[in-house]
Amino acid sequence: MINITNLQKFYRTEEVETIALNNLSFGIKEGEFVAIMGPSGCGKSTLLNILGLLDDPDDGSYLFNGIEVAKFNERKRSDLRKHNIGFVFQSFNLIDELTVFENVELPLIYTKVGAAERKRRVEEVLDKMQIMHRRNHFPQQLSGGQQQRVAVARAVVNNPKLILADEPTGNLDSSNGNDVMQLLTDLNEQGTTIIMVTHSEHDARYTHRIIRMLDGQAVTENILV
Amino acid sequence: MLINYIKIGWRNFTRHRSFAAINVVGLASGIACCILIFTLISFHLSFDTFHTRKDRIYRLVTQWHDDGIGYSPAVPQPLGKAFREDFDFAEKTARIVDYQNILISVKNGGELKKFSERWGIAYTEPAYFDIFDFPLLKGDRATMLKEPGTALVTEKLAKKYFGDKNPMNQVIRVDNRFDYKITGVLRDIPENTDLRQEIYLSYINLKDWNPWIAGNDSWGGVYSGCKAYALLKPNVNSKKVAAAMPLISKKYFKGRDQKIWRFALQPVADMHFNPDYDGYADTKYLWALFFIGVFLIVTASVNFINLATAQALNRSREVGIRKVLGSLQSQVFWQFIAETAIITASAIVLAVAISAVGLPWLNNLFESEMSLHLFSNGPLLAFLVLLGVVVTFLSGSYPGLVLARFQPVLALKSKLSQRHIGGFSLRRILVVAQFSISQMMIIGTLVIAGQIRYSRTSDLGFNKDAVVMLPLPDNDKVKMTALRSRLQELPGVQNLSLCWQAPAASSNNTTGLIYENRAEEEHWSVNTKNADDQYLKTFGLTLVAGRNLYPADTAREFLVNETFVKKLGLKSPKEVIGKLLTVNRTVKAPIVGVVKDFYNYSFRSEISAVCISSDWGNYGNCAVKIDMRSAKTTLPAFQKIWNETYPDYLYEYQFLDDSIAGFYRMDNIMLKLTQAFAGIAVLIGSLGLYGLISFMAVRKTKEIGLRKVLGATIPGILWIFGKEFSRLLVIAFLIAAPLAWWAMRKYLEEFQYKMGIGPGIFLLAIGGTFAIAAVTIGYRSIKAALANPVKSLRTE
Repeated sequence: MINITNLQKFYRTEEVETIALNNLSFGIKEGEFVAIMGPSGCGKSTLLNILGLLDDPDDGSYLFNGIEVAKFNERKRSDLRKHNIGFVFQSFNLIDELTVFENVELPLIYTKVGAAERKRRVEEVLDKMQIMHRRNHFPQQLSGGQQQRVAVARAVVNNPKLILADEPTGNLDSSNGNDVMQLLTDLNEQGTTIIMVTHSEHDARYTHRIIRMLDGQAVTENILV
Repeated sequence: MLINYIKIGWRNFTRHRSFAAINVVGLASGIACCILIFTLISFHLSFDTFHTRKDRIYRLVTQWHDDGIGYSPAVPQPLGKAFREDFDFAEKTARIVDYQNILISVKNGGELKKFSERWGIAYTEPAYFDIFDFPLLKGDRATMLKEPGTALVTEKLAKKYFGDKNPMNQVIRVDNRFDYKITGVLRDIPENTDLRQEIYLSYINLKDWNPWIAGNDSWGGVYSGCKAYALLKPNVNSKKVAAAMPLISKKYFKGRDQKIWRFALQPVADMHFNPDYDGYADTKYLWALFFIGVFLIVTASVNFINLATAQALNRSREVGIRKVLGSLQSQVFWQFIAETAIITASAIVLAVAISAVGLPWLNNLFESEMSLHLFSNGPLLAFLVLLGVVVTFLSGSYPGLVLARFQPVLALKSKLSQRHIGGFSLRRILVVAQFSISQMMIIGTLVIAGQIRYSRTSDLGFNKDAVVMLPLPDNDKVKMTALRSRLQELPGVQNLSLCWQAPAASSNNTTGLIYENRAEEEHWSVNTKNADDQYLKTFGLTLVAGRNLYPADTAREFLVNETFVKKLGLKSPKEVIGKLLTVNRTVKAPIVGVVKDFYNYSFRSEISAVCISSDWGNYGNCAVKIDMRSAKTTLPAFQKIWNETYPDYLYEYQFLDDSIAGFYRMDNIMLKLTQAFAGIAVLIGSLGLYGLISFMAVRKTKEIGLRKVLGATIPGILWIFGKEFSRLLVIAFLIAAPLAWWAMRKYLEEFQYKMGIGPGIFLLAIGGTFAIAAVTIGYRSIKAALANPVKSLRTE
C-alpha cells in the first residue's frame, strides 16, 4: 500500500540545515498495523506528516497504492487525504466549538456526503465507539479517553484505508490508553491499515511490526506477528 | 457546509463575547453613521425628482457679467412672458412671485384667526401646475387661478384654517389687505422639494401687491421671489435655448446693460445643489459627508481586521484540524467570511436601531422629515445589503486569507508565530490609518468651530449685541412715529432706529449708481440701505469723514462706506463729501458722510459698497438697542406697545446676533455633523485600540513576568505599551496634519474673512488623541504591569 524510497526532508533556517529524514525507505502492506518508534527528534512525526500528505518531502519517492504522491499539489493532496486517510492525534485535536456529533461529521462534510447519510454514518460510528450518549456534548465536557474515542470515530467515519496515529495514548491514563489501543486493533482486524508513532513499548506490542528510527533513518525492524 | 460555517461562527461569536462586542459595536457605529449619511444624501438627491417631466423642466435665471459675475435664481418679472412670447422652445412657461412670512387671517365661525405663514404667498400663473406635479385634490384644473382674487391652498393649510369644514369658496385675507377665495385644494407639498409654497394666488393680482414689479417694464430690477419656469418641448435642446437667450438681453436692455444682463436655463435637478443660485445642499458638503461615511466604515473595518488577525493564532488549531480532515484553503477562507458576515449582520441590526435613534436629531438639524422605513425603502434596503457585503469582504478577506494559509502541521502544534499572521507591523499600519482618520476629523471639527467662533466674535464694524429687531408691517408714518416715541420712553431702551434692515442682513437691495456727473453708471453696484438719522448711533457705526444724516422723510442725502470710496478710485473719504450720487437712476442727492467699513454680508462675501439714505416708505424694521439687564421687563413692554400699534398683525421679534448667526447655519450643521462623526471615529478607534492592547497584554504576559523578575519597574513596563502607541499616534499625526491642513484650507477659501489655521489646532488634535489613547490603554496596561510575575509565568 505504501512504498517510500530514499525519502529526504530538511529543515532550513538562515544558518542551520537539519536533516529530518535521511534517505528513508520502507514499505507497508495493506492491512498491516505498524509502529514507528525512536527518540525525540528522530523524524517520526515528520515521516507521519509526509505519509499523511500534510507535508511534502524534499526528495525521494512516495507511492500510495501505486501512485506517486510526493509532488502532489495542495488540492490533490487534500482530495487523496480526505478520502483515504484518517488521523488520530495525541492531543485529540477536536474542534472546541463543535459538538461530538459535529466533530465526527466534519470529514463527511468535506467529502460532500448527503445530510441523511452523514447522520446515519456518524450515529453508527458513535455507537460503535460507545460514545453515542455524548453526541451533543462539547469536547471540553468529555474525559480524555472519551475525547480520544471521538477522535478515533472521526478518523474512521469516512472508512479510510489508512489511519495515522500520532502517540494516540500519550495524553491518556493506562486504562483509557488500553481501550484506545483495543479500538485501533479492532479496526485493523476489520482491514484498516494503521501506522502509529509511539514512545510506548506497551502500545507497540499491539502492532504487527515496529520500525525503529534514529537521525532520520530506519535502523531496525521488529516483526511481532 | 454553510450551516456548519454559521454554526461555528455563532459559537465563536458567543464564546469570545468581549471581542465580538468590540467588533459589533465598532462596526455598528460606523454602519449607523453610513445609514444616516445615506438617508441624508438620498433625501437631498431626491429633491424635485418626482416631477414626471423633470428632464424637460428648467428655471430661468439671471447673471450679471460686470466686475465679476453675479448670479440669481430670480429674474425680472417680465422675463417669463418674453420667453413665452418671443421663443417657441417651451411647451409651458410659468411665472411665480412669492412673498414670505405673510400674515393670513381667516374668519372661521365668527372668530378671526391669524397665522404667520413662513412660506407666505405666491402669485402664480396656472401653467405652473402643468410644469410641476403638485396634484389638485379639489377644484377645477381648467379654471384654477385664472379668475382674479382666487387662491389654491394645500390640504394641510385648508385643515389648519377651516378644520373639517369644506375649504372651497372660503375666504382668506392676505396681509390684512386682500381677500382671496379658495377655488382649489392641493395635495400637501412633499418634503423633498424646494418649491415650498402652500398658498397660490391669481397672478393677475400681483399688481395689487407691487404694481412696479407686476408691470411689463420692470426689467431693471430683480426681486428675489420672482421666478420663471419652463417646460421645454420634447426634443428641444437646452443648449440651443441657452444660445438664444442673449436675444432677450438685446431686445429688452439698452447700451452696456445688454452685456451685463444675461439669462440662462438651470435644470430642475440642479436647483437644490447649486450654491450660485441659492441651492440649499451644496454637493461639496454632500461629498464631504460621503467621504466621512467611507472613512468611518474603513476605520471600523480596520478594527475588525486588527482584532481578527490578532486572534487568528487562537484559531490556528481549528484551521489545522480542518485542513487535516480535507478542507481546502478556499473553504477555510469562506468559513471566515461566513463568520464575518454573522458579525456584520448583527452590526447592521444594531446600526439600524442606532440610526432610528439618531434620525430625529438629524431631522432637527436639517429641519427635515426624513424617515427610515426599512422595508418600504428599496434603495436603503439595497444599500444595507451592499454595505453588508462590502464590510464583510473588507473586514473578513485579509484575516480569512491569513487563516487559510496556515500550514496544518505548524497550526496543529501551535508553532505559528506573529510572522504567520501578518506580524505586528500590519496592525501598526492599520492603527496608524485609523488614528490618521480620527485626527483629520478632529482637526476638521476644530477648524469649522474656530471659523464659526471667529464669525461670531469678530468685530463686524457695527454693534450686533443687545439689538432687537421689531418688524414694521406697514408704511404708515403715523404708526411708526408713535411706535418710536413710545418705545423710546421705556426704561432700558438705549437707542432706536427705523430702517429697512440692519447693517448686515439676508435681505438686500443692490442697484447701479452714477457718481457726480460721470457719463455712465459705475461697473459695480451699491448696496442701498434706508435708515433714519439714529442708524449710526443705534448700530455703533463710525463716521470717518463728513457728518451724519439729518432727519428726513425721503432721500435728501447719502452716507457711503469706505469701500464705496475705494471703488471710485479715490484716495481719501473726504473727496466724496458734497459730491452728487444717483442710485437706481432716480434718486439723486449729495454724499454727506463716510462711515467706516462694516461687514454687510456674511464672512463668505466681501464687504461691498454701501450707501445709506432716509426713506420712510422703505422702513421695514425698528432696531432697538437695549440694556440686557432689563430685558425681562423691556421685551414684554415691546410686545404690548407693538400689539397696540399694529393690532391687525402678529408680533414677532428677533435679536440681531441670532439673525447674523443664521448666516452660518450650514456651517453650524456641518460642525455638529463633524463633531458627531469625529466622536464616533474616535470611539471606534478607541475600541480597536482597547482590543489590541488587551491582546498585546495577553501575548506579553510572559515577557512582563520575566522583566519583573529581572527587576523592571512598573513605569518601565507601562512604557512598553506607551512607547508602542505613542509612536503610532505621532506617525498618524504626521500623515493627518498635512492632509487636514489642505482640506481645511479649501474649506476656508470660501470665506473672504477667516481665521488662520495655527499650530494650536494641531497641538490640540494630537494632545486630544494622546489623552484618549492613554485612557483607553491605561487600564489594561496597568493591570498587566501589576500582575504577579509568578502567576503570569505560570500561565505560560
